[in-house]
Amino acid sequence: MRRIVVAAIAVLGLVASLPVGARAQELPRRLGGENGPKKATDAKRPAPVLADGTVDLSGVWTGGGDAPIPRLLGKDKLEALMMPWAKQKMASVKEADDPYFYCMPGGPLRITGGFAWRLVQPAGERSKYIFMLQEGNAHSFRQIFMDGRKHPDDPNPTWYGHSVGHWEGKTLVVDTVGLNDKFWLDSAGTPHTEKLHLIERYTRTDYNTLQRVVTIDDPGTFTKPFDVTYTAKLGEPDSEIIEYFCIENNQWGERSNPNATAAAIPVAK
Amino acid sequence: MKLRVLVLGLALSALAVPVFAHHSWTAEYDAKKPIKISGVVSKVEWTNPHTHFYIDVTDASGKVTTWNFEMASTPALERGGWSRKTLPVGTQVTVEGFAGRSVAERAIVTAFRGPDGKEFFVPKLGN
Repeated sequence: MRRIVVAAIAVLGLVASLPVGARAQELPRRLGGENGPKKATDAKRPAPVLADGTVDLSGVWTGGGDAPIPRLLGKDKLEALMMPWAKQKMASVKEADDPYFYCMPGGPLRITGGFAWRLVQPAGERSKYIFMLQEGNAHSFRQIFMDGRKHPDDPNPTWYGHSVGHWEGKTLVVDTVGLNDKFWLDSAGTPHTEKLHLIERYTRTDYNTLQRVVTIDDPGTFTKPFDVTYTAKLGEPDSEIIEYFCIENNQWGERSNPNATAAAIPVAK
Repeated sequence: MKLRVLVLGLALSALAVPVFAHHSWTAEYDAKKPIKISGVVSKVEWTNPHTHFYIDVTDASGKVTTWNFEMASTPALERGGWSRKTLPVGTQVTVEGFAGRSVAERAIVTAFRGPDGKEFFVPKLGN
């Protein structure tokens, strides 16, 4: 989250510092061109409600899953919860080994971090599903079943697992099992096993803010369940997610590898 | 007019994410080796996770070196007003950035200027 805030301030500063004339034709189309930007959303407005009475969480959001767990929880507190193998593993991870950098899916926490993402929440008869669409990295999605079904008895582990959701008042509760152990929970390399069980509580605390409290329950890694809290922010009303496939031209590793030659760099044709 | 620029900046920042949301740039580039070169755009890769601009630099003896400059993702640049045609092949540019850790000429961009000195929007690097 801190990185996003820093970047946001940096972008704001840079844009504001450029002369108006030099930037005129470079303005993003989504900001309305000569007609000026759309009015900023008002944080004081309450969360919108759909015709069927449920709170509307749909929109383009940023953040909400990318902060490293040791930073959210405190490194010591996290370590105290970890089994010896997990502590050992985390101590040995290198940033360069993050599967995310090789364009693999980020798992259910990171799908909502770093890049813009859209929550799709059909109303009424079609409210059988909620989808989370990630702009970045693997350009993938989460599918949350809202029709009351249960988890399969023994699901084959996948990157996003099997998710079922229900409403508790104004809070969307999502329960996920059936996750594989191929992704990192966060950029710090917090480990997990296929026993991972996530309970996420999404509450739109005001028009612009989506609070996400996640209970991380993995008896293969941690001695007891614990909660982490993330916050996502709403984009401008006319924001869209944009196509992005990491696998297209990923040169990660080529620059930090002293043996790599220029000819060895894979480039798009 | 100033107010309008500020409002636009605020609107743009609403969707601002680190340029290198994909990974930390300091793993591959040396923050202690700032560079500034002038040359001609020889290839544009309008790709992800990041765009690449290849710049041919000719030294005094006539030798041409091709630099491979990594920049932000296409969504980040589109939100900053860029298209794949903003700096087409053949454009004379001045580029500032940081050298690559293993090969200096595989570098990262922090500032782009066109032939008339006009500055193009380059999102700030993250941490």
